[in-house]
Amino acid sequence: MSESSSNQAATQSTSFDIYGTYQRILLNQEISPPLAAILALTELIENSPAGTMFELVTALNAGADAMKTKSSNPISLDAGCELFIAFVTLFPHDSVSFADLKTKLIRQGQQYADEALTYRRKIAELAVSFIKDGSVILTHSYSRVVMQTLLLAHERKRISVFVTEARPRGLGIKTAEALTAAGIPCNVILDSAVAYVMEKVDFVLVGSEAVVESGGLINAVGSNQIAIIAKAANKPFYALAESYKFHRLFPLSQYDLPNQNARIFSFPRPSPSRKPSISGSLSNPSSAIDSGSIEAAPTTITQEQISKNNPDVDYTRPDLISLVFSDVGSLTPEGVSQYLVGMFAG
Amino acid sequence: MPVPTSIDPLPRSGPPASHQPSQKLMTKAERRELQERQRASKLAQKSAPGGGASSTLVGAPATSITSKQKPPSTPSQKKFSGDVNGAGPRSAVPKDTNASASVAVDDGTSGRSVSRGLRIFSHFGLTKAVGHSIKGDIHPAIIRLGLLFSEFRICGANARCIATLTAFKNVIQDYTTPPHNTLSRHLMTHLSPQITHLVAARPMSVTMGNAIRQLKLEISGSDIDMIEQDAKDALCQKIDNYIRDRIIIADEVIQELAGKKINDGDVILTYARSSVVEKIILNAHEEGKRFSVIVVDSRPLLEGKALLKKLTNADPPIHCTYALLPAVPSLITEVTTVLLGAHSISSNGSVYSRAGTALVAMMAKGHSVPVMVCCETYKFSEGVMLDGFGKNELAPARFSKVPKNSQELTPTPFLEILNPLYDLTPSTCITAVVTEVGLIPPSSISSIPLALGKTTL
Repeated sequence: MSESSSNQAATQSTSFDIYGTYQRILLNQEISPPLAAILALTELIENSPAGTMFELVTALNAGADAMKTKSSNPISLDAGCELFIAFVTLFPHDSVSFADLKTKLIRQGQQYADEALTYRRKIAELAVSFIKDGSVILTHSYSRVVMQTLLLAHERKRISVFVTEARPRGLGIKTAEALTAAGIPCNVILDSAVAYVMEKVDFVLVGSEAVVESGGLINAVGSNQIAIIAKAANKPFYALAESYKFHRLFPLSQYDLPNQNARIFSFPRPSPSRKPSISGSLSNPSSAIDSGSIEAAPTTITQEQISKNNPDVDYTRPDLISLVFSDVGSLTPEGVSQYLVGMFAG
Repeated sequence: MPVPTSIDPLPRSGPPASHQPSQKLMTKAERRELQERQRASKLAQKSAPGGGASSTLVGAPATSITSKQKPPSTPSQKKFSGDVNGAGPRSAVPKDTNASASVAVDDGTSGRSVSRGLRIFSHFGLTKAVGHSIKGDIHPAIIRLGLLFSEFRICGANARCIATLTAFKNVIQDYTTPPHNTLSRHLMTHLSPQITHLVAARPMSVTMGNAIRQLKLEISGSDIDMIEQDAKDALCQKIDNYIRDRIIIADEVIQELAGKKINDGDVILTYARSSVVEKIILNAHEEGKRFSVIVVDSRPLLEGKALLKKLTNADPPIHCTYALLPAVPSLITEVTTVLLGAHSISSNGSVYSRAGTALVAMMAKGHSVPVMVCCETYKFSEGVMLDGFGKNELAPARFSKVPKNSQELTPTPFLEILNPLYDLTPSTCITAVVTEVGLIPPSSISSIPLALGKTTL
């Protein structure tokens, strides 16, 4: 079977470029990776020569794998693929012909994607009822659903927002610009200033890459530390997640995420020329700082190198999260895991 | 010879036993022995002139020295076993200990000389020696199984469940429906005494309870019009399917799921011995992952030794560390993942498992080490457990043997030995439960039966 699936993948890649399609769909600002993955898979069905259900599911799995291996951040994409493939396998086979079934599946997929675009509005409505007049909100990086919620809250209440810079991509600045344009008082803070600013904040509001089975959250790196600080300061930590971001995954720790690769936080082997100064620094660290080789180091390490060696996302434990607002309701982390168990185990 | 022994010890052994602490009793007994020996020699001297009695009494001093140690204990056991503090240190080690090892504990419960400890935990139920009294029509396979259970030769939730179901297959095959009865109605009345016999041997495990409930359901649902042999075969097939689906295949899925969480260079800590954890470790090792294992163990059962043997016999041997429970705090900082087995999981997510598990889990939680509990869904119990005191089981007294060179502990009126077999790990100390339906947080346990579309487990 593995051989046949690889053959399938080979034929797929020649006739239909799923990753290209995925990238093209993602260009639409409104569409998030899981939805783009679902739409890309519906296009795959359209172009697939598969004549049986088994062949189709194999082709879909191959397509999902192709997207995952090419994408730099496969977690939320995987959530969409998983949802769609589960939907296809459970879809009732009452069609006259297989071609008919395929068109049905395609229509269902596109319908779902259209409907899913309204989810953010639903979530915003739910979350706004938790925002009091005059609230000071801390948010992290850039998230479409958080933006929509804040803009809706601004229509009805007076709010002010702190947004983290969110290195290395600096997406917090994008959030700040959009909010300022809408007339919301907004302040960009350093990622390292979260603990400082937490005292003034009423609650934290973040988006998500994926919500996992433990009830925890996968989001842009830095979310975890914000959650920890919020917990320490006894401030509520709210997450916003569309239900297609619910992902059947159970990370036990930060290092248990699927995006792990060896280069993240691996210690580079020191180059031979620098070795003597490092061994010398063992006896007297201050002398090493004075030595020229270390002084030269800041100029040799670039921002790109730092971001290359750092993860894009991190995992926030469920006990740090107060509530998850999603289109299926406002859920506690336990509620999220129960929803996920019910969705996939059934 | 019977004259001095039967009269003398009684007035003397009574008062000291009731007034003196046991420590002094020992010295008192020695003193008494000395006195008796002196009196006997006097008696012998007195009776020596009288020629007739000399033939019997000449030997008395010699025999009394050796036999004195036993006679005082026998009468005191006979006469005082029902009295206050009658079961002194001597009677606590009766001659017939080898007949049934739990007699020492049974003595304690029958007399009023029970210490406070056991009075609190008396509801745990003590395992009685079975095999000698068989009431009713018990199948030989069940009698054999009962003995294996009470001797802890078959131990562990999975093993006991499989053994019970296999024995029931024999019972069902050897069963013939009596005239004017139907199999679906009568077989259960035939099975109930068998179950009662097994429960008398050792309290029923949750797994056995779940499996038997399923079996009852299948029996009552079997077709009345079916030929008897066909109906029996169908039931045996159902039992085989249950063992295969809920235990064997489930274990394989759990192996795969938990195996994904084991990486090269990990340090896995496990407690006592769980069949599932053993399979997971061996399987991950076979896949070529190189990690080390810390086996934590505790008296009285010391089950971890068997696991250790299995792991070190793997090819190539798994790097193992064996430690007792008190060493956990110093080892936990090295650990990447804790893998635990379970006897059962209640619907609030707390894990009922071998005594000591809770300690390991809490220690791991305190050091932010992920704790994975490996457990098939057929081990889920519908009840809610709040602590390990409401329901538990006591290890038989013979398991409380101490290592050779330390002081022997025997139960006395002032010392009871308590060996609960299980404890309860609160769900807050558990990161994930690995089941055949996936990794789930303990808080979502209650939604699993519903998700599987079942009203019962």
